[in-house]
Amino acid sequence: MPKLIKLHQGQASLANDRFTQVADEEPLPGGDVIISLTRFQAEGDRLLSEGRAVGVRVEAGEEIEGLVYDLPRVAVVALAFPKFRDGRHYTNARLLRERFDYRGEVRAVGDVLREQAMFMVRCGFDAFEPADDSGPDEWLAATRRFTHVYQRAADTREPAFVARAE
Amino acid sequence: MKALTGNRLTDGEVVFWKAGAWVERFADADLFDDAAAAEAAEADAKAQRTVVVDPYLIDLVESSGLWAPLSFRERVRALGPTNHPHHGKQAEGGSAIEALQNAAGAARSSGRVKLIKR
Amino acid sequence: MYRYDTLDKEFLADRALEFRQQVARRLAGEITEDQFKPIRLMNGLYLQLHAYMLRIAIPYGTLTSTKLRKLAYIARTYDKGYGHFTTRTNLQLHWIKLKDAPEILDHLAEVEMHSMQTSGNVIRNITADPYAGATADELDDPRVWSEAIRQWSTLHPEFSFLPRKFKIAVTAAAKDRAATRIYDIGLAMRRGRDGELGFEVMVGGGLGRTPYLAATIREFLPTRHLLSYLEAILRVYNRHGRRDNIWKARIKVLVASLGAEEFARQVEEEWGKSDHSRVDLPDHELARIRASFAGTFETLPAASETLEARKAADPAFARFLRRNVHPHKAPGYAIVDISLKEPGETPGDITSEQMEVVADLGQRYSQDEIRVNYQQNLLLPHVKLEDLPAVYDALAAARLATPNIDLVSDIIACPGLDYCALANARAIPVAQQIAERFADPALAEEVGELRVKISGCINACGHHHVGNIGILGVDKKGEEFYQVTLGGSGEGDAALGQMLGPALPAAKVAEAVEQIVGVYLRERKDDERFLDTYRRTGVAPFKEAVYAEAH
Ligand code: HEM
Ligand code: SF4
Repeated sequence: MPKLIKLHQGQASLANDRFTQVADEEPLPGGDVIISLTRFQAEGDRLLSEGRAVGVRVEAGEEIEGLVYDLPRVAVVALAFPKFRDGRHYTNARLLRERFDYRGEVRAVGDVLREQAMFMVRCGFDAFEPADDSGPDEWLAATRRFTHVYQRAADTREPAFVARAE
Repeated sequence: MKALTGNRLTDGEVVFWKAGAWVERFADADLFDDAAAAEAAEADAKAQRTVVVDPYLIDLVESSGLWAPLSFRERVRALGPTNHPHHGKQAEGGSAIEALQNAAGAARSSGRVKLIKR
Repeated sequence: MYRYDTLDKEFLADRALEFRQQVARRLAGEITEDQFKPIRLMNGLYLQLHAYMLRIAIPYGTLTSTKLRKLAYIARTYDKGYGHFTTRTNLQLHWIKLKDAPEILDHLAEVEMHSMQTSGNVIRNITADPYAGATADELDDPRVWSEAIRQWSTLHPEFSFLPRKFKIAVTAAAKDRAATRIYDIGLAMRRGRDGELGFEVMVGGGLGRTPYLAATIREFLPTRHLLSYLEAILRVYNRHGRRDNIWKARIKVLVASLGAEEFARQVEEEWGKSDHSRVDLPDHELARIRASFAGTFETLPAASETLEARKAADPAFARFLRRNVHPHKAPGYAIVDISLKEPGETPGDITSEQMEVVADLGQRYSQDEIRVNYQQNLLLPHVKLEDLPAVYDALAAARLATPNIDLVSDIIACPGLDYCALANARAIPVAQQIAERFADPALAEEVGELRVKISGCINACGHHHVGNIGILGVDKKGEEFYQVTLGGSGEGDAALGQMLGPALPAAKVAEAVEQIVGVYLRERKDDERFLDTYRRTGVAPFKEAVYAEAH
């Protein structure tokens, strides 16, 4: 079971994961699940009608637009990093937050390292399954390493050009 | 004949394997004529993660009665840049350095890294 | 000159501390080399053949005397007393120790410098017209926009893990001195019909294994929308650029495979959906940046008697004026090119002592400004005509007055196999041999404008594809061989060179260049440049001369 760090109101803490992540070839267990986009498109309606919470796992190569219509019904969008160098999900996270106004959990899974923490938080991720040994303290420290930022993103941080004018 | 080389982690210096440790001069390096011994040393070297970066074996050729790296790239590493004769290991001079400078023979370097990701 | 405010300074201090902690974690064995390598690369630190190499960013090639003196100090204290300027106007130090790197970053931060984003798959250091603020043919100061891009691209949260590195060049002048067509994005300022200023946006240039010249995807983008439009381009690239094959990951491959029109359509669509006001800089911020670049010039006579007298008496000085001195927008001033290409020396190399001489001259005679250009030379942008003799004498005493700008001995060369871990062959000795054959300044001047560019491997750091004479080192069964191309150009009339023939052995290259120049001198009409003659005659006569013996 990977550890799950959640960020809430500027605090990071270890969280119990109430979701079971299910691979496509595995049978579905009961309870809340995170499933692939393909499986969600086939079985999502039924699972939701059973009253359970459903999360969707999106691969780096998948178009996030495929999920837009269902977003209000999705509890978690898990963006999967095949390699930490693959940066596509930074765009996806921003689109979820800024363009599609998604308010649920955006979780980083896969090759997730603390070196990416600040970028992820700025792009709108709020839950993380780090693949390295970092815990909530290291994770939070990494997100706070820089006092200033130079551009707007999906977070509420004030960019330099605004801070300077005050 | 082979030798084992890498760059030292703390300063990047080109170093050669000698009896489980690393020396700066090619002339002091252990030479392997036994492939199994060379590979065993390479495996040991790879385990020294806080000492040396990406160690690898290089092929040697005879020059002036001594051994020299076969590939030109490895001779540049063992000597220093050709545009600054006083920089790098060549500055020391002497017969061991001259043997490297006079070495002929050519091959693609086995140590040519795939690509330095930039 | 843009000065860091508290905020910029605190940002750099945070970055330097972050790297110090990361290096400590690596030395203690808490992270592996695989994990550390991308981190050190994000700070411009490579492991090369002999040691680590640090690539220090010089945003839009602009330095002050304080910065240059600090670079001299770092080169002397932590390296072997010299540095190498690159075609991206950065400075590379070749003999750096990992354990010293955090301290070096602290020194850099003291003078508002760093090595961030000089490596890795991020938006790299921005290059710009080296004549910015000094030339009469510009519509605006491109550094204002370059600085805006620098800030916007610094640790951009969405674009720090792009498919591949990303290079942007900016010019606001009619003549392209920034090689805008060979970069991922080239921006050239234009004036619109109603007088408004905007950028022509060119995307998808790049050299390397498959060279492309950038295609224009928008003729006119109002300047105030620059950042939101760049964000749209980068977003399309970040989503759709290839990540499965490192050789196909640059944006040039995406633009070529979609076609420039379709790529442009996708960018426009994305731009149309985004809220520009969240990205584009507000007027007050642009005004703040602009104010820092405002230069003031004295009212001076357009000619100087001191200068004319010296010119008449000293032919060497007169030649320096012809080759290295260029008109300035303000009467009584000039732009002075400093060649780092003395025949026999390593192209682009400069010693700490020379850096200090240039720093002193910049402070005393050029409003404290020094520039770096992509030809691996320096320049003093604002020198009074009457100071030119003094500047020349000081440069000459430091062996920095070689009168060869844009001539055959003003060669671009990458470090090649003397330093670079990726090299196939050496580039520096080839450059030295060629330059020595044309060391006589009268001969070099007689030949005229001729750009020779040399790379030690297909990565094309030496821009060989766009050299009038391009030279590429290849490895033939372990021997150094060189592929020669002719007719390339990196500027206004950008073109990729054509192959001359089979690769030549190292010993034959300088001679071949001499033969090529011989053909040119024989064939040239009137005052044709090498490139003009080549374009008229084609490759045949050159080929014949070089490969004659082989027939
Ligand atoms: C010594 C360490 C260096 C390494 C490891 C290195 C590596 C590379 C690589 C891998 C590429 C190809 C990238 C691609 O096409 O995707 C490249 C291209 C390039 N590099 Fe370097 N390089 C080095 C030094 C330099 C130097 C010294 C210069 C300037 C003289 C430079 C400027 C460039 C430029 C302008 C290009 C080609 C233009 C482009 O397509 O972006 N690099 N380099
Ligand atoms: S062209 Fe090749 S040899 Fe030259 S610096 Fe670039 S990577 Fe190294």
